[in-house]
Order: sequence, then structure tokens, then C-alpha cells
Amino acid sequence: MHDRVLSGEPLVRSNRLAARYPGASVPAISSITFAVEAGQRVALLGPNGGGKSTLFRAITGELAPSSGELELGVGHPALVPQSERSRLDYPVSALDVALMGSVSRLPWWRRPSRADRALARESLRRVGLEDETNTTFGELSGGQRQRVLVARALVQDSPLLLLDEPFAGIDAPSAELLAALFDQLAAEGRGLLMATHDIEQARSWDLVLCCNRVQIAFGDPAQVLTREVIERTYGSSLVPLPGDESLAITPPHHHDHFEADR
Amino acid sequence: MFDPFALPFFQRGIVEILLLASVSGLLGVWIVLRGLAFYAHAVGTAAVPGLVLADGLGFSAIFGAFGAALVMAALIALLLRRRSVGGDSATAIVLAGALALGVILASDVFGSQGSVDRLLFGSLLAIGTPELVLAAVAALAAAAATAILGPRWLAAGFTDRNGNSDSLLIALIALAAVAALAAVGALLATAILVVPAATTRLIIKRLPAWQLTTAALAAAEGVIGMILAYQLNVPPGAAIAVLAGIVFALVAVAVLIHQRRPRLAPLALTLLGLSALAVAGCGSDDGGEASSSKITVAATTTQVGDLVREVGGDAVTVKQILTPNSEAHDYEPRPNDVGAVAASKIVFASGLGLDAWSTKLVKESGSEAEVVDLSSGLPVSHATGEGEAHADEKEGEEHGETDPHWWHDLTNLEAATTEVETALIAADPAAKDQITANADAYRAKIKKVDEQIRACLNKVPANERLIVTDHDAFVYFTERYGVTSKGAVFPSTSTQGQASAGEVAALEKLIREEKVKAIFPESSLNPALAERIASDTGASSDYTLYGDTLGAADSPEGTVLGAEAANAKAMVAGMTGGKERCTIES
Repeated sequence: MHDRVLSGEPLVRSNRLAARYPGASVPAISSITFAVEAGQRVALLGPNGGGKSTLFRAITGELAPSSGELELGVGHPALVPQSERSRLDYPVSALDVALMGSVSRLPWWRRPSRADRALARESLRRVGLEDETNTTFGELSGGQRQRVLVARALVQDSPLLLLDEPFAGIDAPSAELLAALFDQLAAEGRGLLMATHDIEQARSWDLVLCCNRVQIAFGDPAQVLTREVIERTYGSSLVPLPGDESLAITPPHHHDHFEADR
Repeated sequence: MFDPFALPFFQRGIVEILLLASVSGLLGVWIVLRGLAFYAHAVGTAAVPGLVLADGLGFSAIFGAFGAALVMAALIALLLRRRSVGGDSATAIVLAGALALGVILASDVFGSQGSVDRLLFGSLLAIGTPELVLAAVAALAAAAATAILGPRWLAAGFTDRNGNSDSLLIALIALAAVAALAAVGALLATAILVVPAATTRLIIKRLPAWQLTTAALAAAEGVIGMILAYQLNVPPGAAIAVLAGIVFALVAVAVLIHQRRPRLAPLALTLLGLSALAVAGCGSDDGGEASSSKITVAATTTQVGDLVREVGGDAVTVKQILTPNSEAHDYEPRPNDVGAVAASKIVFASGLGLDAWSTKLVKESGSEAEVVDLSSGLPVSHATGEGEAHADEKEGEEHGETDPHWWHDLTNLEAATTEVETALIAADPAAKDQITANADAYRAKIKKVDEQIRACLNKVPANERLIVTDHDAFVYFTERYGVTSKGAVFPSTSTQGQASAGEVAALEKLIREEKVKAIFPESSLNPALAERIASDTGASSDYTLYGDTLGAADSPEGTVLGAEAANAKAMVAGMTGGKERCTIES
């Protein structure tokens, strides 16, 4: 299936990366130095407007770095966008959406083949949607739609997955299924970079990258996620939960940054 | 009534609409899905400068239109690269620029005649081989592109809702818009390209099925629209557009009822079916023409129609194509017009570019009629702009073109009478005596009216016979009776042009200096600018002239002589501030 990458080889690596939108006077992100290796799960923490989506855009090549270095390993990274941003009025089934993943790796004159369709069905099975292949995308639940988008990334068969808040606003069964699937994908040797607001979840991943327009920290969550780093990452939007040592962040998720950037 | 499907022009129209229906099915869904409806409409409309260029430089109108559409598509694609400009804004900017360029080219570079309008209102009844080839090319290109790139277009639209940047899709839509433009005109192209896909979208939720249903619906609407147009004698493009609109509304209502009250759905479907039947049924048969031994001839304009009726009398049946108060410059044939031409032995044309569409109409109708161009043997002819003290006397502007409004000189009408007489006798020798008698009587009448008009205008001193008209249609009249035209509101013999601010200012200055008392709006044109200039200068604009067309069929101005008499009376009244009136018996 996909070109297995041996553990230890970086799938993406940046050195003092900065990126700026056309016409903007200041870069949206700067001083980003991190790497994702095969088999690693990396959490990307940061507030709304902190540059998480900008970093994804830089990695997918949609936005050119304004300074610093950005190196990609084999294959084009697969982006799993927030399901809230997908079009519900689109005339496609779950299978059609999953199949879109094959388009980006085929030359322009090739239509998806029988093998691509089989791969799309297999990917839908892996996200637990084998019974919904022919359901119209817009009629699925939020969690199911998120899983279809993950299936599309699986069809893309990329060694590096960029996950934009995949757990935002989805149901518990979908969340459990996806969490297990992400662990499995990492075990297969893929690298995962996940934007999230969930500090507790970030603690359970291999590495964490904290970013608030500039990089705050990158490393093992056990060492990196100190109260000081979290406060610098989230600024004053941090509130202590009563009777608990951990912290909550408001608001829990966002869906405005792409538009705000334009 | 004869079977429309047996007529070659009708068959070609059906083939054309079926080809366009497949384009509609293949591309309409992408237009709707990717939010390109405004672009699809604009790219056809923006063909204007291409049409003017083609007309002025004498190359194929279709190439002109497609070239302009491609340039527009490229400019929009370029603007879209800059993310700060939204898709609709980019389209609007380029559209406005294209239309402005078209107006400037038409008024100030070529002073072009009516062919631009004719292409903006294409006709399914005048489809020739170039139009069929263009539609077939569009259909094939759309099919090939959808087969190969369909999955890619689908994925792109799903990921980026503002992603209009598939340049091939943009170019294909331009091609489809130009193909539709030739068939139904720019203003109704949307009815074929967008409305069917928008209608089926309400019910169909999957892509290949959506495309197939759209093509089927567009084909059904096209064929039924053509048949309705034939039965009701309305232009087919308009019939198809109205039908498509009605079907969309009915489906939308049915879907709404189905969502609110699912149990009422069968009722809604029944209503839908019944109304469809009612629409189809109201096209009642208008009965056949009583067949007789009389020959049938066609006349293109109101003036020619009147002339041929006078000469032919009871011996001929005259089918007149243009109706009173409609402009000769922009005309879309109705099915009966084409049927009339097909059944005619002779088609009498006014000529000199005023009814250039008639040649094509005769060809596409499959008619074997002889075309008699009445302008070919006239004793008096004037070049466009001649005898005319234009406000800004452009440097010897020589068009070398002959002004087509020849009938305003009654000696020309007399000569044309003889030409009609000769042609009718050749076609029906048995009716020779009757036709000669009619022609003699009409010539005598022309002489009488001519003398009365001269006497009437002589009541005004020669140096006070000053007029300003709406467009330069009256040089034959003013030259014959010693009237001086001081200028025209529209700066050319055509109604295509627009006056510039400088021209209007110069004209107003001239009106004040020369003490012109009246500006004469024309019956078939929008009088707004004439009225504006009149109120600026204190001149009157109360008297209407009959320039391009005649008055209503039953009115005194419904005949050429009646209209000329009315023009003379209006001029005298206008030039003397209403003090002098005269009566003319026609």
C-alpha cells in the first residue's frame, strides 16, 4: 500500500520557519522549529489565531515560508480539515468523498480505478462506516462526517497526516474510534500532527508543539507542558477549574480563522 | 397547420437544442455547484465587443463572440488569482469593461449597424451549420472534460468553496455560453445552461444522476418549448426560458410541500403533472390558412409590407415579418415568420443592411423564394450622414454606406412600386391586369401626397425649416423638401450608438444658436435623451416622427403615405411652435 517509512526518519522538519499572508505586515507564525518522524503523534497546541492552521497551510504548500526552512519527507501530506468547514449541500456519498483522496495522487488524465474504489471502501471500514458508504455526506452526523474525512486522508495514503481539531464537537463513540485509529496509524509508521485545544489529550501523545504566533515550546509533553508554558501559549484566556489542578481553556474550539486570514 | 417536424429549420432547431441540453447536463451542474451562474451569464453578454469587431472588420460573428468570451474568461481567472477580489466582483468588473468597450467600438469606431443586436438575440429558428458545429464541439468538449476531470472538479469544489480556479472549466463554460448565445441569445442563455441544473438539484442528490436528469430535463424543456413556440407563435428562446422558469417554480413548491407535509406529496405531484399538461394544452391549434390560388409573398419591414399590399391588392397574400413599432435593427423571428418565408414565392426586402437578417431567414427556412431587394434600383440615394450639419463635423467621415431609409423620398417609393409590380407579375402572370391597375393607382396617390407635403412645408420659410431628430433616418425626407437637419440625438443611422457628453453639449449649443424650435423623438425609440435635450434648450419634443417603422396597422400612420404625411405635419407644427398646421389627404 503506502511507502512505509522507517521510524526515525523525519516526515516534516522546520527550522526557524516564518510564514506571512500576502499583504500582511507581520508574519502569522515565526520561529517554528520542530520535526515529526514516522510513527510519531505530535499535538499542536495554541489559541485561536495562534497560527495552527497557518502552519498546516505552510506544510501543505498553500503558503510559502517567508523565512526559515521547511523540509518535507516522502509523499504529499494529507490534511483532514475541520468537518464543520465541509459543504453539507454537496451531491456526494461517503464513498465519493473518500474517493476524492485518490485524486491528489493520480496524474491529471487518470480517473480513480477499481483498486482505488476498493481502497476507499476499506478506508471507510477502518473508520467504522462500512454501512454508510452510500449515504449522502450531508446526512451523516458530525462525528461520522469527521470519520469520512479521515477515511479520505487514508485513501490519499500519505505518510504524514495533518489533523485540524478532529475531536471538536463530535460524539463520544466517534471520538473513541478515532483515538484508537490514530494510535493504530502511528503504529503503522505514519506521522500525525494534530491541532487541538485538549491539553489532557496532548499529554498522552508522543510530542507537543506549543505555538502562539511564535513557538513557545516543543518536546515531550511530560517536560514541556508546565503551567508557565501553557499560560504563555494561551495568554490570559486560561481559567482554573474549581477543585482541580488542571486548566480549562475558553473557548473550546473555533471555526473562524480561515476566513479571518483572508 | 403543417407538421413542424417536417420543416428543415425546425429540425435544425431541435438538433441544436438537444446538443445544448447535453452541454447543460454536463456543465450546468458544475456551474451551479461552483457558484458560476453569474459568470456563465456574463461571459455570453460580454461577447458584445467581439461581435462589434467581427461586424466592423467582417469576420465570423461566432469567432468574434468566442474570442471575446475567452479574453473575458482569462481576465477573470487572472483577477481571481488575487484573493482580495471575489469571484462575482471580478466577473462584474470585467463584464462592465467589456460592455463599455462594445459601446465605444459601436458608436465611435465602426458606427455599426444592427448585427450586434441580432446576435445578442440569437434564434433557434435560424440555426445554420456553424451554430450546429459549435454546439457539437461544446457538447463533445464538455463530455470529454467531464469524463476525465470530473472527479478532480468535484474534489476541488468540496475542499475550497471559493475555488473557481479550474481554468479549463472556466474556458468550457465560455464555449458553452457562446454556443447558447448563437441559439437563444445572450440574455436567455442562462435559461438553458443554469436553470435545468438548478431545478434537478432540488431532487437529485448524487452527481452522475444529477447530470443525466439535468440533460433530460433540458432536452424536454427545449423540445416542448420549441413546439409551444410553434403553436403559440412566440420566439422559441423566450418560450423555453419561461417553461424552464415555470418548471423550476413547480418543483420548488412540490419539494417544499414534501418537506413540510410528506403526506401531501402525491397531491403535489398530481398538481405538478396537471399544470404541465395545462401548459402543453394551452398551445391550441390556430387552424390552417385557407388555401387558394393566390400566391403568397413575404415582406420584411412594415414599409415594404404596406407597399406590397398596395400593389398586390386581392391578388396576393402578404406575410409581413416585422410588426409596427418594432425596431428593424433588433429582431428575433417567430416560428410563423419562418413558416411564412418558407411558404412564400417572393421575399421583398428593404435592403441596405436594415433587414440583413432576411437573407439568412430565407436560407435557413429551406425556402426557395426569390429575394427582391427593393433598394437595388433606386433613383435617389444618400450616403449615411449626408446633408447633415453635424454638431461636431467629424473629419470628412466617409462611410461610403448608403442610408437605408430610402422610402422617405417618395420618388424612391414610386420606383419601388414599379419593381414590386414587375416581380409580382412575373410570379403570377394571370393577375397582370389587376396588379398593373393597383400599381397605377398607387403611383398616382404617391404623386398627390408628395405635392401636398411640399405645399405644406412651403408654409414655413426655408431658413426656418430646421429640425433635430432622434437618429439620422430622415435625410431622404429633408433633402427632398428643403428641410435642414441640424443634427441627431443618436450620432449614426443606427440606433446602436450612444451620444457622448461632448456631442450632447455641442448639439444643445447648436440648438440654442440656430434657434431650432423642435426635437423630434421617434416612435420606436426611447425618447428620454431627446426629451432631456429639449427641456435643456427650451425646444419642443412633442411631435413624434415615424422613422424606422410605421404606426399601428389600423391607424392613419399605418401606411407609408400616412406616416410621411404625419411626419410632414409634425415637422411643420414643431418648426412653427404649433402656429402652422396643414392637412394632407393620403
